[in-house]
Amino acid sequence: MSRSFQFKSNTNAAALALAAAVMLVPANLLPVLDTQTSGDNRSDTIFSGAAALWHNGLWAIAVIVFTASIVIPVLKLAGLGWLLLAMRRPNPANPGRLTRIYAAIDFIGRWSMLDVFLAAFLTGLIRFGEFSTVVAREGIVAFAAAVVLTVLATQAFDPKAIWRNEPAPAHSPP
Amino acid sequence: MGNPAHLTCHLCGQDHLPAPLVTGEMALCARCGAVMEKGARFGPDAAFAFSVTGLVLAVPAALLPFISAGKLGNERMSHLLTGVGALWDNGMRMLALLVLLCGCILPVVLLAAIALAHVPECLGWRPGARAELARVVRTLEHACIPEVQVLAVLVALMKLGSVVEVTIGPAFWFYCAMALAAIMAQQSFNLEPPVPPSGPDAPQSP
Repeated sequence: MSRSFQFKSNTNAAALALAAAVMLVPANLLPVLDTQTSGDNRSDTIFSGAAALWHNGLWAIAVIVFTASIVIPVLKLAGLGWLLLAMRRPNPANPGRLTRIYAAIDFIGRWSMLDVFLAAFLTGLIRFGEFSTVVAREGIVAFAAAVVLTVLATQAFDPKAIWRNEPAPAHSPP
Repeated sequence: MGNPAHLTCHLCGQDHLPAPLVTGEMALCARCGAVMEKGARFGPDAAFAFSVTGLVLAVPAALLPFISAGKLGNERMSHLLTGVGALWDNGMRMLALLVLLCGCILPVVLLAAIALAHVPECLGWRPGARAELARVVRTLEHACIPEVQVLAVLVALMKLGSVVEVTIGPAFWFYCAMALAAIMAQQSFNLEPPVPPSGPDAPQSP
């Protein structure tokens, strides 16, 4: 006898969030881009890339990259963890706040793809042989996997379950 | 899943009776306060107009030069899909497909779905077609992220300023306009077709 697969479940969301958290480790430790410019070779992780932008005076860009690539993925996973822990209670406290957290996680998740698009664009454009070359490295694959897993974890979480024990408003339709 | 005659909040599942919204009005969920529908700011056909505009803009965005970079007399021109090709050549094929999907294919599919969602009433398609297309739109909007690609290109241009000479090609502007059209089409698109005024159980509007 076969059971139909239910994608929206807290178990699936927890498994996907855990997988995303695991993938964030190589994503942040391995290099994401190798840059070779006029004999100067450097290999950047996500953090060192943002730090290099900061040291070059591109503060606003450094903040954007740091926020999109480090802060948002961590915040998303922390938020998902909070939601999943709250759902373990029979009556989740403050469902309105939990729903707002979920909506925020759902909205900000897309911006984590910034570094992936950045790596793809630079790899395609900067190919001048020995003068200047940018090559994407394995760290960006791990990072993209973490982003996709986080998005899937967010989609697997069912926000309607937050309200399962809350009474409907008095003027709702039957 | 809510009653199909009702408007169901996508966050808390509360059913509401649909109500017509005027420009600038928003339908808020009576239980969780989420925005469920918005009154069309630019008229009822705005989503259709923006989606067709986006589809038209996607053609030059894909075909014309995107960005060119020069270094010591060498010049290299890239198109929208050049980065995808480079990742594919580097052996990062799944990553190349992800970039292709999120930055190029899904925005076009989303725009086509929004445009098609306005066709059934004109062509007499079965009533459920719009609801199915609306579900497609709702699913795709999470993965359709041309605006993130635009931001990534702007960040790259700032980063490259001191390394190479960069010239922005026409396709970049067409792509920006397509991304803007996709955002406007999503903002203007309502899941439910316009309905006549109904009873007292209409969603709240501020």
